[in-house]
Amino acid sequence: MRNKVILLIACSILMAFLAGCFDARELDDLGISLVIGVDLQDNRILVTAEVVDPSVSAQENEVGSDGSVKYVQGTGGNIFEALRDITLKFDRRIYLSHNKVIIFGEDFAKKDVVLYMDELFRDREQRETVYILIAKGSKAYEVMGINSGLEELPADYVHRLIKNIEFNPKTVDTNIAEYLKYYYNLGQHPVVGVVERRQRRDIDKSEQKTGTRETELSVLGSAIFKGDSLAGYLNGNDTKSYNFIIDNIQVSPITFPSPLSYEETGKKLVQNEERLSSISIIRNRTKNDVEIRGDRLILKTEVNIRGTLREVIGDIDVSKEENLKKMEEACSKTVEEGIKLAVEKVQKEYELDIFGFGLVFHRKYPEQWEKIKENWDQIFADADFQIDVKTHIIRTGLINKPLAR
Amino acid sequence: MISKKIDVNKKEIENIFNNVPDLVAYEFQTKSKIKMMACYIEGLIDKNLFDRDILKALIFYLDKHKDIKDVILTSKVNELNNMEDIEKEIIGGNIVIFMEGCRTCYTVELSKWDKRAVEQPQAESVVRGPKEGFIEDIAVNKVLLRRKIKNSNLIFEDYRLGKQTNTEVSIAYIKGIVNQDVLDEVKNRLKEINIDAVLESGYIEELIEDNTNSFFATVSNSEKPDIIAGKILEGRVAIFTDGTPHVLVVPTLFIEGIMSSEDYYRRPYFSSFLRLLRAFAFFVTIYLPGAFVALMLYHQEMIPTVLLISAAGAREGVPLPVAIEIIIMVIVLELTKESGLRLPKNIGATVSIVGALVLGQAAVQAKLIGALTVILISITALTEFIIPELVQGIVLYRLVVIFLGGFFGLYGVVCAFAAITMHIISLNSFGVPFGWPIAPRNNRGLKDTVVRLHKKRFIFRPEAIAKENVKRQEPPKGE
Repeated sequence: MRNKVILLIACSILMAFLAGCFDARELDDLGISLVIGVDLQDNRILVTAEVVDPSVSAQENEVGSDGSVKYVQGTGGNIFEALRDITLKFDRRIYLSHNKVIIFGEDFAKKDVVLYMDELFRDREQRETVYILIAKGSKAYEVMGINSGLEELPADYVHRLIKNIEFNPKTVDTNIAEYLKYYYNLGQHPVVGVVERRQRRDIDKSEQKTGTRETELSVLGSAIFKGDSLAGYLNGNDTKSYNFIIDNIQVSPITFPSPLSYEETGKKLVQNEERLSSISIIRNRTKNDVEIRGDRLILKTEVNIRGTLREVIGDIDVSKEENLKKMEEACSKTVEEGIKLAVEKVQKEYELDIFGFGLVFHRKYPEQWEKIKENWDQIFADADFQIDVKTHIIRTGLINKPLAR
Repeated sequence: MISKKIDVNKKEIENIFNNVPDLVAYEFQTKSKIKMMACYIEGLIDKNLFDRDILKALIFYLDKHKDIKDVILTSKVNELNNMEDIEKEIIGGNIVIFMEGCRTCYTVELSKWDKRAVEQPQAESVVRGPKEGFIEDIAVNKVLLRRKIKNSNLIFEDYRLGKQTNTEVSIAYIKGIVNQDVLDEVKNRLKEINIDAVLESGYIEELIEDNTNSFFATVSNSEKPDIIAGKILEGRVAIFTDGTPHVLVVPTLFIEGIMSSEDYYRRPYFSSFLRLLRAFAFFVTIYLPGAFVALMLYHQEMIPTVLLISAAGAREGVPLPVAIEIIIMVIVLELTKESGLRLPKNIGATVSIVGALVLGQAAVQAKLIGALTVILISITALTEFIIPELVQGIVLYRLVVIFLGGFFGLYGVVCAFAAITMHIISLNSFGVPFGWPIAPRNNRGLKDTVVRLHKKRFIFRPEAIAKENVKRQEPPKGE
């Protein structure tokens, strides 16, 4: 008995020393990457990584300082080779677990993106929640390293820009997992965010200014994918309409021409195109539906907006019920037109169902779907579109009458 | 047997005591020509009282017609006729008086020696609550308890333990509340003690406890009469030991480790908050360093990015692996604690300077250890000090968790958690499950665990302890 106990203890100690620690990684062996950019260069993959340099904060002897970043590049036949190519030039292994954003250069995005993404999913380090951005009209590394925000690291700056969809839905926040979800769906094509480099007006006149930041990034708009390759771009307003249809609207502003009066005949609302008012959405619900009517396919979208009044330009007293009604109607009309425009554009220009009507069709007519699923995009492009927007303004702010008389 | 001759008796007693110089065998003659002898040990008796009330009385007033008890002015006189008893009496600080021609002798209790005053115990100081603490003298300690529980059902039973030391040990309980099984068990285990010396209650604790191999103590102790009173009022048995202010109480529950006497003196909400804090501290202080090592070595993806970057910055340039770094700092913490404990007070300040400045700040600046490690160890120390009763288990288990975390990552930490939790609930203290009332669960008992309810709701004593007489008070009206 006693010998057995000693043997057991000896075994467990040996187990600890022999098997333990095998996958231990000290923090100072890792190059923590926050953004990677993937480009195509001479038919080889070029990976650019933004790696944190924590020693900067260590030198200042501060805990909590974000330190600075370094940019490293590697090339290879695929992403993994390119990542390991970096280690020949950079002293630490690239550690991807804290990667927040992957930026694809435009050239790369036009290739088979999913084909090369395999490494990112096969390796346990990269999270599936990492955001994808397409560098619109440029290489990925050209939009990296720009920080014109208050965050200390450029990676956090980009990351926050994507997160700001919460306040303005003229962009999309697609992560890799969602991208793949759309990729595998026959009834919906992926839409991912774009990032663009822009000149910035230099307003800061202070003398202590350290280094001019002449460029800034913009994530306005989105990119449409046909399966795994870039098909085109949507502008900001179309992206907003896209977000309305896929029900991805949170707190968001809507600006519309202020209502004037009803036309005598037909009770049609007349709007003042020069004066724009705004509401801010509190909650939005969108329901999509399809209907086969004869030999026509009709796509239907029902949007229910609940919002609060943010800005009234024009002489409108919103304490009166009928005026509020007018506002609601004017808002609905604008949203309606925007969505119609976006759907029409996608149907005509791209012939790609990015809105997911195919999924609705699949659910509603599973038998017909089996027959037409291969041609769905064509059917989508030919279908009619019906939209119904209802706005409900539940708060009017602190004042009833506009300031201007 | 006692001889009629005083000379013979004197020789025998001197023989028994090996002719030690502090044994006094004082022979004297009364006015009525009776030869007498008083035996005692120098320094153990009150000499003034002896001279005034006994010697004087005997010499002047004793004659052949009077009994010795009628003459001496003292409250208690015993008759003895056995040499072994006489030996015990003399050792115990009593005076033995022999009379020529008499086969019995008399003992008078006049023991007196220097004692420490009743003062506030240093280890268990409180803001609200009685400040008195037990002292080294068992008689005083018993009185302190009697002053708390003025009840004739408070029973003391005396034992003498230690072949060489003959230490007086006394168990205290309240008849009618005490758990009879526990009481019998305590008595049995005390009787089985066969040790040569009992210098402190720790000797007894080790000899009567259930789980000698556990890091956790299943016998608790306290220096404060109010705590002991509160515990025996719940049906527990207290064990007083002469020569130490630490009184043992059994059975002990794990949950008592996060309780403090002040919890019952303050408002229940705040007390509950503090208990939650202590329960939290228990887990933090055991698992935090180990979990930190595991996260830093294996699971960097689980750390929030900003924290990871600052952790990486703090580790930049530190020569040691993170596990070694933490182990060294935990050992340094123990060194600091232990050295501060033993040092005289006037150089105790040196320890804090060495600990705080040299080992904290300077070591970080010299890049021997990371700044984050210092913060972590400080948290560990703070959370440890909030639950002093469990410290013995905590310190050792913490090291185990660090090792497992360093070797196996969070898997090791989780295994350690499972093992430690299972160990705690497998323990027993005098037949009462150590994990009561949480595991096994008891809803009535839960009213006074991590949260303390209003005292009106304390209708029942802990059922596992006070088995026979569970009802403490009538429930509040209207319920």
